[in-house]
Amino acid sequence: MTTYSSRPAPGRAENPFHENPFHPPAWKNAATSALFCGPAILLYGGFVLLPTLLGFGYSFTNWSGWGQKPGFVGLGNFRELFTDALFYRAFRFTLFETALILLFFTFGTMVLAVLLDRLKAMKGLIRALFFYPYILSILVGGLIFQWLGNYREGAINTVLRGIGLESWAQEWMGPQWAGWFLFAFVVWSAMGFFTMLYLANLQMIPDELYEAAALDGAGPVSVFRHVQFPMLMPTITTNSVMALIFGINLFGQVVVLWEQPRNDTYTIGYYIYDLGVRGNRQGYATAVSLVMFLILAVVAVVQVRTLRRREVHL
Amino acid sequence: MSLGHRKRRAFPLKEILLLAAGILFLSPVFLAVLNSFKTLAEINAAPLALPSRPTLASYGGIFTRVHILKPMLNSLLMALAVIVCLITIAPMAAYSMSRRKMRTGPCLRVLFLSGLMIPFQVLMVPLMQEFRFLGIQFSYLSLLLVYVSTGLPFAIFVYTGFLTTVPKELEEAAAIDGCGQFGTFWRIIFPLLAPCTVTVIIFWGIWIWNDFLMAFIFMGPSRGQLAFVQLWTFLSDKYVKNWDTIFAGVVVLSLPLTVLYLTMQRRLVKGLTAGAIK
Repeated sequence: MTTYSSRPAPGRAENPFHENPFHPPAWKNAATSALFCGPAILLYGGFVLLPTLLGFGYSFTNWSGWGQKPGFVGLGNFRELFTDALFYRAFRFTLFETALILLFFTFGTMVLAVLLDRLKAMKGLIRALFFYPYILSILVGGLIFQWLGNYREGAINTVLRGIGLESWAQEWMGPQWAGWFLFAFVVWSAMGFFTMLYLANLQMIPDELYEAAALDGAGPVSVFRHVQFPMLMPTITTNSVMALIFGINLFGQVVVLWEQPRNDTYTIGYYIYDLGVRGNRQGYATAVSLVMFLILAVVAVVQVRTLRRREVHL
Repeated sequence: MSLGHRKRRAFPLKEILLLAAGILFLSPVFLAVLNSFKTLAEINAAPLALPSRPTLASYGGIFTRVHILKPMLNSLLMALAVIVCLITIAPMAAYSMSRRKMRTGPCLRVLFLSGLMIPFQVLMVPLMQEFRFLGIQFSYLSLLLVYVSTGLPFAIFVYTGFLTTVPKELEEAAAIDGCGQFGTFWRIIFPLLAPCTVTVIIFWGIWIWNDFLMAFIFMGPSRGQLAFVQLWTFLSDKYVKNWDTIFAGVVVLSLPLTVLYLTMQRRLVKGLTAGAIK
């Protein structure tokens, strides 16, 4: 980078003032920078970076979170993690959900977006129907889904009984179906956003590409394979990374569906909250969150690297 | 295109199928609205039927028993406060880091961007600790600080991306006319960033109005003062779910954003997607 003073000042010759606006004294420039960036740095540093670093520090202690002094336990928390059955359970559940979410929010929403892209009638209405749940609070969605999945009075079972499929009625939020029910809820509430991103990208594809494909006699499938799919690569990267982060951090959705989640519906995100806020085991909770963060960071970096390479640029 | 001509006359099968799928997809919402006009007994007896005698009793309950009006106002004020903070602080920082000759600029930018990756759970409890140390635990101020600080990375990311499209000549012209750096920013650059500002307003307006988790965690014992937390607290006290009140509450609290969505759908979707796609 060229340093500030070495940059030739445009208009220096014409400027009669002693203090060139492009060349204020260094101290003044620094002061202006501080005023511009100061509030952001202060807030971000104080309430995001500092607590993150503190959190990493606490992961080596047995701190309860409230009152008494934390004691250093070295890698004790991380060693405990390996033998913690509940952690394994939460980890497996989170991985299961993340895999489903990653697949669906990368490919399922892409198919939907392609279907919604070139509608000839009722375009706004149809899109609105699919997008609307995204602007609802997850608490709204969660409450409605609690009611839908209810065994006795829930809408799903009522419909099944109504059409004579009595035996299909299930305890949808019970252990057997919990994972799928949670996935259905996540899809319902967040699908609109991922679909919209694909749609926005689809609209940037120049018409000439479609015309060329039509001239070559390409059907919808080969248009998708050879025109739309390659052009969607940047959004595939964005969406799949966001889906990954979304899945690993799954937390609020579990709270609104189960209120007091059972052991079999613990996600890592909920487990951390449970340990830290309710369980008085802050040191251990931050150790769990640190491990989760590292896993997420590694996977995300690998994912971005692999996907970026496949993006096409016009 | 001759192909297109032929297709236009064809029966819009795809559209009709998608419309049906969309209505089915949204049917939980329709059912919730439908049931908000029934009594609890009727909801349990016939969840899918039209209300035999439509009643507004459950809507009365949401205002008299849950006292939702004041929390709704609080949520609105909170959203406004956070948005005002974000749309002043974030564009200033983004502008300074990317456009003014700041030697630490690129470095700071990476630091801010890394904030997009930090999972909230990592900083949740240390943050509560920090607020206790500062003596502002369980207050509106603490919640405001959480919303603004965790919102900054994305807001700065959006503004930085957009700033690359603003021509540099404008600033130079302003400087030659004797406009100071702050004047240049607020009078020339900030108005040009309006599309970004709209994105930020939409994003955080929706997010803060709808949020109940952060408010739930950070407002602690004095919870029950933002709209969705109030509803949540009322519900989780009870063993038996009062579905009539729940549905009425759900409808009332979703109404403001729904009206906004219906009146400016195009703008809203554009604003929401603009952040993630350049």
